[in-house]
Amino acid sequence: MGKNRRTLTRGADEDISVLQAAAAREKLGKNLDANLKKIQEAAGFSYDISLRRFTAGDLPGALLFLDGLTERRSAEEIVRSLIVDSKRLKIPLERGRGLEIAREKLLTSDEIISVDNLADLFASISRGGTALLLDGSPGALICDTRSPKVREVSEPNNEIAIRGPRDGFVENLQVNTSLIRLRLPIPQLWIETMTLGRLSRTEVALLYIKGLARDKLVREVRSRLQQIDVDSILGTGYIEDFIKDNPYTPFPITFRTERPDKVTGALLEGRLAIMTGGSPFALIVPTELPMFLQAPDDYFEPLPVGAFIRVLRFAAMIISLILPGVYVGVVNFHPELLPTTLFLRIISYREGVPFPLVFEMLLLELIFELLREAGLRLPPAIGSAISIVGALILGDAAIRAGLVSPGVVIIVALTAIAGFTTPSFSLGIAFRLLRFTYTILGAIFGLFGVQFALLLTIIHLCSLRTVGMPYLSPLAPLILSDLKDSIITVWWWGMRTRPKLVGGREPLRQPSGQKPAAGQDPEEERS
Amino acid sequence: MPREKIANRQLYFMLFLIRCNVAVALLPVLTTADALQDAWISAIVQFFPALLLLLFFGSLGQRFVGLTVAQYSEKLLGRWAGKGVALVIAWAFLHMAAVEVRAYADMLITAFLPDTPLVFLIGAMVIASATAAHAGIEVIARAADLLFPVYLLMIISSLLIPLPQLQGFLVNLEPVLARGAGPVLRGAATPALFTVQYLVLTVLAPTVNEPKRALRTAIWALVGATVILIPVAVITVAILGPQLGTRAAFPFFSMVRVIAISEFFERIEALAVFAWGLGLFIELAVYLYCGGRALSQILGMPDYRPLILPMAVIWTAFGSHVTRNMFQLMDFFKPHFFVPYALALVVVPFGLLWMAYLLRRLLRGRSGAS
Repeated sequence: MGKNRRTLTRGADEDISVLQAAAAREKLGKNLDANLKKIQEAAGFSYDISLRRFTAGDLPGALLFLDGLTERRSAEEIVRSLIVDSKRLKIPLERGRGLEIAREKLLTSDEIISVDNLADLFASISRGGTALLLDGSPGALICDTRSPKVREVSEPNNEIAIRGPRDGFVENLQVNTSLIRLRLPIPQLWIETMTLGRLSRTEVALLYIKGLARDKLVREVRSRLQQIDVDSILGTGYIEDFIKDNPYTPFPITFRTERPDKVTGALLEGRLAIMTGGSPFALIVPTELPMFLQAPDDYFEPLPVGAFIRVLRFAAMIISLILPGVYVGVVNFHPELLPTTLFLRIISYREGVPFPLVFEMLLLELIFELLREAGLRLPPAIGSAISIVGALILGDAAIRAGLVSPGVVIIVALTAIAGFTTPSFSLGIAFRLLRFTYTILGAIFGLFGVQFALLLTIIHLCSLRTVGMPYLSPLAPLILSDLKDSIITVWWWGMRTRPKLVGGREPLRQPSGQKPAAGQDPEEERS
Repeated sequence: MPREKIANRQLYFMLFLIRCNVAVALLPVLTTADALQDAWISAIVQFFPALLLLLFFGSLGQRFVGLTVAQYSEKLLGRWAGKGVALVIAWAFLHMAAVEVRAYADMLITAFLPDTPLVFLIGAMVIASATAAHAGIEVIARAADLLFPVYLLMIISSLLIPLPQLQGFLVNLEPVLARGAGPVLRGAATPALFTVQYLVLTVLAPTVNEPKRALRTAIWALVGATVILIPVAVITVAILGPQLGTRAAFPFFSMVRVIAISEFFERIEALAVFAWGLGLFIELAVYLYCGGRALSQILGMPDYRPLILPMAVIWTAFGSHVTRNMFQLMDFFKPHFFVPYALALVVVPFGLLWMAYLLRRLLRGRSGAS
């Protein structure tokens, strides 16, 4: 104990873990000057720690806060209530009970908590609190003086809805949870928080609807979260890795979204959402593959349109996976499957191309991946230059030079477009990765190779689980009643039940028979 | 390790695929060999002996709910005899698996991939199904859930496409029963005894959610497969004619190949072949899982998974050598060989088991009375 005390005051030559442990152990005593010295030394006299000393009555005190995190003039208000109000209202701050009296009778802040050690004090003022220390009272009071310094709630860039709501999450946990609370103004929306990350001390929130989400699921997710012991959580991606059942899969196992409406929808199905401070992404667990094909617009457009788009997207997903492999396989092995004229056309264009077909295909796929990756990181102004160079110069010149055949260019372009219809970036990239395998197998075994790859993919997808729930549900295991929101969609009055596996606790969402009946003809009414 | 459970629906899908697949792949040629234009009647007739056979070995399992055949045969016949009987039963469907994968590979080589070595095709199918079997019956069942609608869609569409042209071919089905019932019955013998495949039920039944209804599920699967099988036989025989139907190696595919919807859209047999591949995958995975499970219980192992890899390797070799060529394969399915073989595989072990069971009940009844 004595040793640790020394290390804290001497400072810099100890390691971080020792210093942290010492800070958590270091109690705030009764002596104001000693306390302030301790705090300042522990923080290395960092410039952003502001100290305001004052004397209330004859009791010396001090306020500590971090510049830039607190509301302007909030320290002034605290000092005024301690000095002026205490005199006017005749409530003297007694030595020894000063903090108690200040908390009960004088301070007007929204939220006041008391802390007794150095680590907690720092954690609190780092979130925008102001610490009040008085001579003669042990510990400190933290008044809530946060200034809401966050990005404006704006439309998420990566998940665009044409007719859906326009708000998206920001980097502040409180704002994010309030966006959910606005949509679900019921006490049964439970938000559990925990602090993860030994150094980053990130607040992580677990949201669910009590009584709707399965208790077993909540317990499972909670325990997985609590087991996380890392030094920092800088985004939800960190947590994703800890929740995964199968770390080797290329498929996104947790659903990430910036849209509060998506999170709310998922909560209403009995799912759980995980949010972290400092990240505009929420994680939804358990996740199923069809969720990645849902876009907000499907629910806001007239149903035939929405359902058609959903089916189209599903087909596009499969095309983006198998098309290059099928093309290579058919042209190499099964030309008889193509009509003669079409095949002759393809062959005549391949005349003089120096590479084998599969090489040509892989090369172009790779170039496309390079272009996409290059365009992704660039500011939009330069991004268009990439597409000009890539599409016009590279593509056109390669065909003119006879290095690649137009057929392959068409296939690669078609595959790319089909791949971009997937609303989720992370699912699209998983398919893109698998596509190379399909192409190679297609080149070795023809369509049989594509079928082989498809079978392996299916086995893998069927064996995947997120927090114990099968990934391919409702397709496998087949749950007929849940197909209404997977490959197809139905009207809202038809969405009678929640997903069976996650929302099975309260399966009925709404009573049936809400299909609007045809209104009475006004002419008939008159007669 | 938590016990794996599959739904009865999934059992139905798996059994349906197993039966339907072999029928689609081989059936008409097996029946037409004898029955010629009456092959489709054979397809109906075969249902009844098949059902009897299924009841014969399925109903014993219903009396031992929660036990696989390897477990209750040891209970009934004692340790060593029980193990022996279970081994025979496991052989029955493992041999079938090798034969079927061989037939599939032969078809692929003749029709699509003439230069690919046989062992690659067999190996690829076995790798896929071994991966699934290793992942467990739940994964196989889920894959069956996913593939069943696809499979059905493909088979039904390849049955619907020739329909408009069927009118002119119906003469091929005449004269009906011209040579009496004999050839029809003989034609029905092999497909009926293909019920040997359903021996997997004796291993799968305990993993089902409602094991008491497992037999009923299997019967419905048999009915469902027969419903698909009859139009397959009718359309194939009608379009190919009885003579070509006898000679063609894979009549259903030949039939689909003959069909041309239009100038542009003329090679739709890829659909049927793809369906066969998907069905075969489920079939092989189920066989391998059941074989592994039965073997592990015979050998007294707690888990079947260590057996899957060696089994897969042996099986690839076995599949490559089980027959020398397609004609030998066809000979294997001729009634005069296949019927005694399959009957022996079902009747001998299950006859023994039934006898032991009845004897035991009799003895217990007597001791209970005294």
